[in-house]
Amino acid sequence: MSKFLLSHPVTFYEGINACFIIDLDMKKIIETENLSFYYGKRQILDHISVGFREHAISAITGPSGSGKSTFLMTINRLWEELNGAKMSGRVSIFLDHEKLDIYDRGVSLSWLRRKVGMVFQIPNPLPMSIYKNLVLPLQMAGFKKKEYLRSKVETVLKQAFLWSEVKDRLPDDARTLSGGQQQRLCIARAMILEPAILLLDEPTSSLDEKAAREIETLLFSLKKHCSLLMVSHDQAQVKRVADEVLELVDGRISELFTTPSSIRSTKSGIGHFRP
Amino acid sequence: MKRSVRVGRPLVLAATAVGSLLTLAIFAFMMMLGRPLFSDHSLNLLLTQAWAPDRGLYGIFPFICGTLSLVGLSLLIAFPLSLGNAILIHLLAPRRLARFLHQTIKLMTGVPTVVYGFVGIFFLVPLIREWFFRGSGMCILSASLLLAMLISPTMILVFLESFAAIPTAHIRALEALGGTRRQKLVHVILPGAKTGIITGLLLALGRALGDTMIALMVAGNATAAPESVLDSVRTLTAHIALVMAADFDSMEFKTIFACGIILYLWTALLTLSLRYIHYNSTKLSHDQTF
Repeated sequence: MSKFLLSHPVTFYEGINACFIIDLDMKKIIETENLSFYYGKRQILDHISVGFREHAISAITGPSGSGKSTFLMTINRLWEELNGAKMSGRVSIFLDHEKLDIYDRGVSLSWLRRKVGMVFQIPNPLPMSIYKNLVLPLQMAGFKKKEYLRSKVETVLKQAFLWSEVKDRLPDDARTLSGGQQQRLCIARAMILEPAILLLDEPTSSLDEKAAREIETLLFSLKKHCSLLMVSHDQAQVKRVADEVLELVDGRISELFTTPSSIRSTKSGIGHFRP
Repeated sequence: MKRSVRVGRPLVLAATAVGSLLTLAIFAFMMMLGRPLFSDHSLNLLLTQAWAPDRGLYGIFPFICGTLSLVGLSLLIAFPLSLGNAILIHLLAPRRLARFLHQTIKLMTGVPTVVYGFVGIFFLVPLIREWFFRGSGMCILSASLLLAMLISPTMILVFLESFAAIPTAHIRALEALGGTRRQKLVHVILPGAKTGIITGLLLALGRALGDTMIALMVAGNATAAPESVLDSVRTLTAHIALVMAADFDSMEFKTIFACGIILYLWTALLTLSLRYIHYNSTKLSHDQTF
């Protein structure tokens, strides 16, 4: 049976493989109901029902192959580009106090992915200039005015603590930046569309300690702009940055910590995964 | 130094030297055999004069025009079709249809040129003759359409390879930013496959330049410079084949070496262009790594 360490008042329902948690204090931004996911015949996620708080850093952790990245991809429907994958259940996001089923037929994929940004494990700047990397999402969304584009670029680069480092080299190829700078650029690129949710798939795992710390500081500062859902293997990092933690094991909820204090006070400690 | 390296290096160097020397020897051989023609006629005259051996004119200008117009038109037809096909297979078609089309195109690369020639003679040529009410139907247009069919599979396969080589990370990045299929194509796939597209175009150009059978069977083999796409033409390769089949040691025969030299130089230029593109793209990816 799953174990929960909760400090807030909660209502707790448990089915055969399903857990549904409602924290009465929290304002949710994402909610999944009976979310199951399959690659071919292999089940990756097993009836996950969970909610995540608005303007918080929610970490998803767990051993390799537990379905963390797949879970993330169900939030922006990125899995739909994969072959042989299928999903059941419901995923909703809350925008302007309205609950929206993101798999509803009326939801445009482009619109959704602009509202739910994503940053990948390995920095993936496009093979173009730093400036073009940042304005491309805006241009694809239909923004054309040069002054607007320029001011947005400056704003997000400042948000990503990158402005002072790159302001004189905006026409340079983005791939000439260091790994840490590239990842901050990718975060800035995702943030330029002002998403309500930012998904981060192990954003610091390919970076050195210093660059990783810079990203962590950046994530803290981004909390006021959007809600962050981050997959991380780094248990120390999860303890440092996360406001709530969901642990997945074999595609099921293993543990859920809803406050930073509960994360630190747990006896088993984060990373004490079941074999 | 390892023994394998000690023995292998001279062997590789020797093989490279022999290969290079053979290539140069072919050029020297053609120059030598064509010498009687080159000593009697200036190169300028050969390249600009008309072909009228009975009047002592051995100019290959009409064949150069014929080759360039045929190749140019076939590339003009084949390039957009091939690019469209490659985009359809890579991005738009359902998986099964894409696989079927891909296999069909692979199969097309193995079809002998003479088969295309037969299709041209018995199907396309009468059709062109009836549509335009002009000439025999054996003209630049008929031959270009067939040549386009011949070179398209090569182009499509090279384009597809270059599309597939685009890093998945770039595609995923654009998808995650809400990019549509069209935006993916415009902002990631086509710019990323630029080198591959140019390579495919140059390879197809080489194939079209070197083709003999379609030009021989369908282009009509007229020895005058063409004025419209409905005119018959003789290409450099068709001229070589026709003269060789009927002659052995006349001055007309010597012109095939002039044709050979021009084809050689064009091919060398193409190869050097491909090498330059390849060098630049690998240099770029090396620079990007560091």
